[in-house]
Amino acid sequence: MTDLLAIIAVGTGTYLSRGVFILALANKKIPDSVLVALQFVAPAVLSALIVALLIDSDGNIAIGVAEVSAFVVGGAVAYKTRNHILTLITGMGVFWLVRALI
Amino acid sequence: MSPDRSIVKQGIADAVPLFVPAIPFAFVIGVVIVDSGISPVVGWSSSWIIFGGAAQLTLISLLGSGAAVAAAISAGLVVNARHLMYSAAMAPVFQHQPRWMRWIGPYLLIDQQFALAMLRADDDRRTFRTYYLSSGLVFWTMWQITTVVGIMLGPIVPVSWSLEFAVSILFLGLIVMGIDKYPKLIAALVGAGVTYLSAGMPNRAGLLVGAFVGILVGTIAERIRE
Repeated sequence: MTDLLAIIAVGTGTYLSRGVFILALANKKIPDSVLVALQFVAPAVLSALIVALLIDSDGNIAIGVAEVSAFVVGGAVAYKTRNHILTLITGMGVFWLVRALI
Repeated sequence: MSPDRSIVKQGIADAVPLFVPAIPFAFVIGVVIVDSGISPVVGWSSSWIIFGGAAQLTLISLLGSGAAVAAAISAGLVVNARHLMYSAAMAPVFQHQPRWMRWIGPYLLIDQQFALAMLRADDDRRTFRTYYLSSGLVFWTMWQITTVVGIMLGPIVPVSWSLEFAVSILFLGLIVMGIDKYPKLIAALVGAGVTYLSAGMPNRAGLLVGAFVGILVGTIAERIRE
């Protein structure tokens, strides 16, 4: 039940963020300072998430050679190819390979 | 062929290739839903209640990892705050649309839809509407189907594969492909670093601290750059 309510909360917020200017504030402009800040939401939040997901329940960072190798190779492939499928395949491939070797 | 039909075909033809990059997200969301212990039907409902891959992955991964519900919701909302930009950019186009279209339009306004719709901003009202609904329905339908496939694959994927790590790889890809100037790189590095330093905070609240400081420092770097 809590899970469903959480999904509805994020769904409502997502709809509002997509709709607020279309539905209500068509003649209002977002202040330039907010527009500048909004560009940095995606990189800052996603990188914070990557780290947060690697933190175990005791608050320790569970990151080893396999994870770091996967990030380096996956990041390079993403940069070169701009292809999510190739990034996922090579990143996970390196992760599994290094984990099997050490 | 009537003009309407050709516009519908155009919308579909433009949407299908743009959906391809979303397929790994859909599969991983499915697997993570199964992994998280959330009921598959509830987990899948996020595909039509939220209809946004990054926010769905964020919310479900965090709920599954034992984060406080409030922290998981906040993170999911912050991830999707970028849609405010899309809403502001599309608002003038939608002012010429009927009321029902102004209510449905935002629901379909995902990243790919925004990219396509902006190119059509100068179309006449009816053409724009037909095109927008055609491409939007393609994205919506394919998203529902591919996340269900992911949920069906979830129980087959062995836990030892640690497929939850795929979420981190996908997010890394999104960051790398989105960096078009150095302040964004700084925002990403600071976001990660501060989250790391606040790892000891309860309920994964460090994530929000890291995200906030990352946005702040990125904004300052942009000011300096200008």
